Amino acid sequence: MYGGLHAPHPLPDAGALVAVARSFTPRVEARTPTPVLLDLSGLGRLWPTPQELGRALLDAAAARAIEAQVALAFSRATALVVARACPGLTLVPAGGEAAALAPLPLALLELQAEQQELLARWGLRTIGDLARLPPAALAARLGPDGPRLVHLACGEDAGILVPTPLPERFETTLELDWPVEGREPLAFLLSRVLEPLTAALAARGAKATALAVELGLVDATTHARRLRPAAPSGDARTWRTLVLLDLEAHPPRDAIAQITLRAEPTPARAAQFSLLDPAQPAPEKLAETLARLHAWTSNGRGGSPQLVDTHRPGAFAVSSFAPGPLPRGRREAASPLPRVALRAYRPPRLAHVLTKAGVPSFVAAPGLRGAVAAAAGPWRVSGDWWDEAFSREEWDVALELRPGRAPAGSGAFRLFLDRLRGEWFVEGELD
Amino acid sequence: MTLRPDITRGEQKAKLSMSAATLPVLPWTAFDEASRVHGSSTGPAVASVAERKRALEELLRARRLQADDPPLRGEDQGRRPLATGVAELDALLAGGFPRGEQNEIHGPASSGRTGVLLALLAHTTRTGALAALVDPLDRLDPASAAAAGVDLARLLWLRGPRPRGCAGWPSGASGGGEDPQAKALAEATAAVATLAGSGLFDVVALDLAGADHERRRLPSTTWLRLQRLVEDTTTALVLVADGHVACSPGGRALALEPAGLRFSGPPGPACLLTALTARARAGRHGLRTAELAFAAV
Repeated sequence: MYGGLHAPHPLPDAGALVAVARSFTPRVEARTPTPVLLDLSGLGRLWPTPQELGRALLDAAAARAIEAQVALAFSRATALVVARACPGLTLVPAGGEAAALAPLPLALLELQAEQQELLARWGLRTIGDLARLPPAALAARLGPDGPRLVHLACGEDAGILVPTPLPERFETTLELDWPVEGREPLAFLLSRVLEPLTAALAARGAKATALAVELGLVDATTHARRLRPAAPSGDARTWRTLVLLDLEAHPPRDAIAQITLRAEPTPARAAQFSLLDPAQPAPEKLAETLARLHAWTSNGRGGSPQLVDTHRPGAFAVSSFAPGPLPRGRREAASPLPRVALRAYRPPRLAHVLTKAGVPSFVAAPGLRGAVAAAAGPWRVSGDWWDEAFSREEWDVALELRPGRAPAGSGAFRLFLDRLRGEWFVEGELD
Repeated sequence: MTLRPDITRGEQKAKLSMSAATLPVLPWTAFDEASRVHGSSTGPAVASVAERKRALEELLRARRLQADDPPLRGEDQGRRPLATGVAELDALLAGGFPRGEQNEIHGPASSGRTGVLLALLAHTTRTGALAALVDPLDRLDPASAAAAGVDLARLLWLRGPRPRGCAGWPSGASGGGEDPQAKALAEATAAVATLAGSGLFDVVALDLAGADHERRRLPSTTWLRLQRLVEDTTTALVLVADGHVACSPGGRALALEPAGLRFSGPPGPACLLTALTARARAGRHGLRTAELAFAAV
């Protein structure tokens, strides 16, 4: 016997109805969040009559503040359809499926949209209307789906219940007899916790994409950290290193009495290596190296530079370092000449500039002082007038640097006149 | 191949198996190239498996000798120096900067140190390898790097702390008694040690240009320690500085001197800076030199 459990009103928790069903039987097919199909075979030993079992289901749902509809029937389709249509408890006796389904609207059968539209055009409104059609004629019009729909409308469902697996939790807890402090004993204990956890992940063909670390401390508080490296890993040693590095950066304030690790699983990625492509770094090794550079990467001082879509000079962003595979055909011919690079001063150095006929002739800035030997410019750049406007005149100048404070000799620099503020700046050195 | 209807099925099978044995085997372009190498045509003479294997091995061997190509999976990269992609420089450096060694690029302001470094980073990242730049003075201009051809997604950039004043580098000791300059450089060398020890990066560069005074205050063992870290890896450590810092016995030292600027014409509104020229000298004793021109536009 099958049981259909349906909640007509929105549920507070998507898994609430499944939890009610699982309190009766492990063989539950969940169509998240509702309805839920239960395999009730064998439950007659606990509940002598179907009515009592049905009422127990309703009571269990009510205990979780769910207004449920329950139908018990001998076919899957009947239990599901009747549970969705009829309030309270409905019992469908064996052989009475067609009669129970006949008055119900056709929409409850969960047909495809095209089939629904076609049957509506034929003037069919209820499941009984469909059940009365001859299967052979329907097969001529709808193909193999035709007889299947008629059998479904009669409550004859040849399908089997496919139990929904329990959500797996990859969690390990280790309670310590004596609290530990310091890196070395913790490293030893972490290995003990991580090895079974990663073994369980490997048995499911999964890796951990993130790891939640909860350390119960002696002062009855919990030190919680969540690690999410750039790439999933199933290697206990890598995770141990990452946890230790993170705890070095964020140490717990007291000795540790309990260790709980919870992994978020993800299917292990199968990589097809190519003979002719360059070897890529192991993601675990990269994640470990970046974790060691946590002091740089955590405050935006480390990562991949990125250009941003703006004309504002010097604008860039820094993103986390996650190099992907090199796209095919990406390699381009190298430039035959190396290029002049700007060594940027951040922020630009405020400068005192003398001009002759509008051309810079002498520059004095912190760490930099000299006459202009040659100048190219001005190049005017402006924009973002709707936001933080900028407007400047750029000059590339060769300076005869005065001896004294380094650097002495000569050098090429980029100057700009901020036309909004009327001040000169040295943007950087051309090198 | 079409089956003839005038012969029996058994005869057809026999004919097919005979044809398979005498087919020119592989329609790969690689095979055609191999045939050219051997000076033979794609015919029955090269049909055997042994010859096909030999042809492929020839191709792989030939490919391995091309310094520009990315390394093959499993190939020993230790013997292949890292080229800069600039013909004059690579000739001067006998192929490029050797891996597993501590190399240096040094010269005064506007001598093209950063241009050479970016050329090296561009050539490395374009082949799919990873590069890291530790930049304690925060001098890298990402737009210049992109213009030089660096694949920014494959470059790990570690920037120094934000300077407090306008001078670009925190000056003097802080109130807490700890010298921020020494602290920043110590952090930078520690980061270089981490990156070099990981073996993930083909190039790890430390940009010390402009911090000559602070660099001299680092313990001299710093460079020995870094050299020991990279010597068993496929990483080339490159130091960029104003003057000679350190170079391992097998490494390359590239000394640069500015040779002047080139402009598009006489001074005036339409004048452009077109190039920066420099003289490069490889080796500490200046045995080989080359003239370099860095394009500005």
